[in-house]
Amino acid sequence: MFNKLPIQIKFLFISFFIIFAPSFVANATNTLTVNVVDTNQKPLENMVVYVEPIGHKVTLKNTNTLEIGQANKAFIPYISVMQLGSKVKFNNQDNITHHIYSPVGDNKFSVKIRSGQEVIKNDFNEAGEVSMGCNIHDWMSGYMLIVDTPFFAKSDKNGNTEMVIDKSGQYKVVVWHPQMTDINNRITKTINLNSAMAVTMQLSKPMDEIPSQQNEDDFDFLSDY
Amino acid sequence: MQKHFITLLFTLSLTGLNFANAYEMETTFHGVLDLRATVTDSLTGNYTQGGYGKFALNDGESFTLAQAGGEIALNWDNGLSVHAVANAYKNNGDFKLGLTEGYIKYSGLPNASGYRWQSKLGVFYPKISLENNAYAWASKNTLNSSSLNTWIGEEIRVLGNEITLTRLGRINKDPFDLSLTVSAFVNNDPAGSMLSWHGWTISNRQTLYTEKIQLPYFKARMQGYDLYEQASSSDPFLEVDDRVGGHVRAEIKFHKKGAISAGYYNNNGKPYIVDNGQYAWKTRFTHIDLTWLLPQGIVLTSQLLHGDTLMQSPLKTDVVNNDYTNGYIALSKRIKAHRITSRIERFNVKDNDKTVGDNNTERGKAFTLNYTYRLSKPWFLSTEFTWIDSYRPGRMYTNQPINLTERQLAFAARYFY
Repeated sequence: MFNKLPIQIKFLFISFFIIFAPSFVANATNTLTVNVVDTNQKPLENMVVYVEPIGHKVTLKNTNTLEIGQANKAFIPYISVMQLGSKVKFNNQDNITHHIYSPVGDNKFSVKIRSGQEVIKNDFNEAGEVSMGCNIHDWMSGYMLIVDTPFFAKSDKNGNTEMVIDKSGQYKVVVWHPQMTDINNRITKTINLNSAMAVTMQLSKPMDEIPSQQNEDDFDFLSDY
Repeated sequence: MQKHFITLLFTLSLTGLNFANAYEMETTFHGVLDLRATVTDSLTGNYTQGGYGKFALNDGESFTLAQAGGEIALNWDNGLSVHAVANAYKNNGDFKLGLTEGYIKYSGLPNASGYRWQSKLGVFYPKISLENNAYAWASKNTLNSSSLNTWIGEEIRVLGNEITLTRLGRINKDPFDLSLTVSAFVNNDPAGSMLSWHGWTISNRQTLYTEKIQLPYFKARMQGYDLYEQASSSDPFLEVDDRVGGHVRAEIKFHKKGAISAGYYNNNGKPYIVDNGQYAWKTRFTHIDLTWLLPQGIVLTSQLLHGDTLMQSPLKTDVVNNDYTNGYIALSKRIKAHRITSRIERFNVKDNDKTVGDNNTERGKAFTLNYTYRLSKPWFLSTEFTWIDSYRPGRMYTNQPINLTERQLAFAARYFY
């Protein structure tokens, strides 16, 4: 069918590909698969993986609103990740008031959320980890990592994350979890990304135990004695 | 005293109103309703009515309103809250209703190092009981509190302030929280008198803040004896000597494992001061408390209390001088909607004075077995058996046996809201 087209059309068609080929190559959609494993090669679930460009900039923004629930007197999920500048929606699904706070660093905050209510916060101005508690239920514990890149994910039960990165180049892959005992609770690896790629990130030290968010007392009618 | 309490509540409400204008407020209302059918094998007169019976009910069968308790709290977003707790009881045909606690509380936010300040001002229980932490000071796993905490509910309550400093392990990446509580108080001078005169008892009864407790009969109260000047009822929440007492408590709490705490209470009474028949008693005790999660989900709760109490004549001679010790160990396990709790106790009072007609000596032990079925979220159905065996020579003043075994079987429906 292509052979039957007039020569001019054929020429234009081929030229188009030749002229724009470099842009197609440079912006090739690269799928980066990161597998997170522990010191015994066992996959680790719910680990934060994020990828930062080195020596170049990424203009893409991932501005999805992050949802952090309070259900059964626990932060759900325990670990969240978002890009700097995004909004966080705290959503109290319990029938009691929670007093969510973070006492440390630039993203210090405190907010009381009544039963069934939502509070949206959009004033987290610094990248970094936000360690959250509840001033009414001391055993509640949640973490939020604010990253300065649109490429982030949490590992699934096989330890896998998949990110679509539309620009080839050098990147730093980071794995973070508050119970990681590596320096800064992180491990990193530099990669050159120019096609689909799979990276395995192995922790060099065993993780600490993840604290239980369950109350030690299962009695529902405790007062403040 | 009642006047002081009302003034305090009034001040608290005004403070609350001031804050109400500046911050959003939330009101919470909680409580407990406890209805019981009880068979008691004891003496005719129980200790709440001037007898020597160790339960709050007389010998025989009864249907009672064992507790109707409610607590209201006004909570502001800045961490300030105002609390009032009321309780009602209908035992032995006698209906009593009144306030048991009323205080203002402030809870700060932890700082970056994980330290948090909390404070309380008003009428409240010093942090002692490990059993009575349900709404309106109800006991969580048993119907009757241990004898140790029945005494706390009867005679120990303060008008004072309390400051707690907590170091949160979560923020310091430690597996434990540490806290230190310091309290200064007044209005608990006659504490120790009922422990001396009717000994250790077992019930869920709390003395209402405005209530007086009738003394049992003993010879030294008669004309010509040393305690003739003593009023016929004790008013435990009274200030007699205008001196400030204190309570300190330190706790280490391991998340999901348990907690160990120790404290010291001293009402700092001037023991020879008397006002309208109410003496200041010098009452001091140390308490050690442990709660620990054992294998198989069994929770161990244990407290040990040891102290002394002294009351003197205006001429500073000892009239009542007692040492006392009490300890209990309780084990509790829940399987789905069923919970079984057992508790053993030992207690004594050692009489060190020579007062004629006032022998406070007591030695005893007790055992409690409770089975509770959680019918629905708020409804709990319980069966509880309690056995108390005690030696108390003072019962001879009323021609009752010196060695006595008392038993109680209670069926209760408790509703929490």
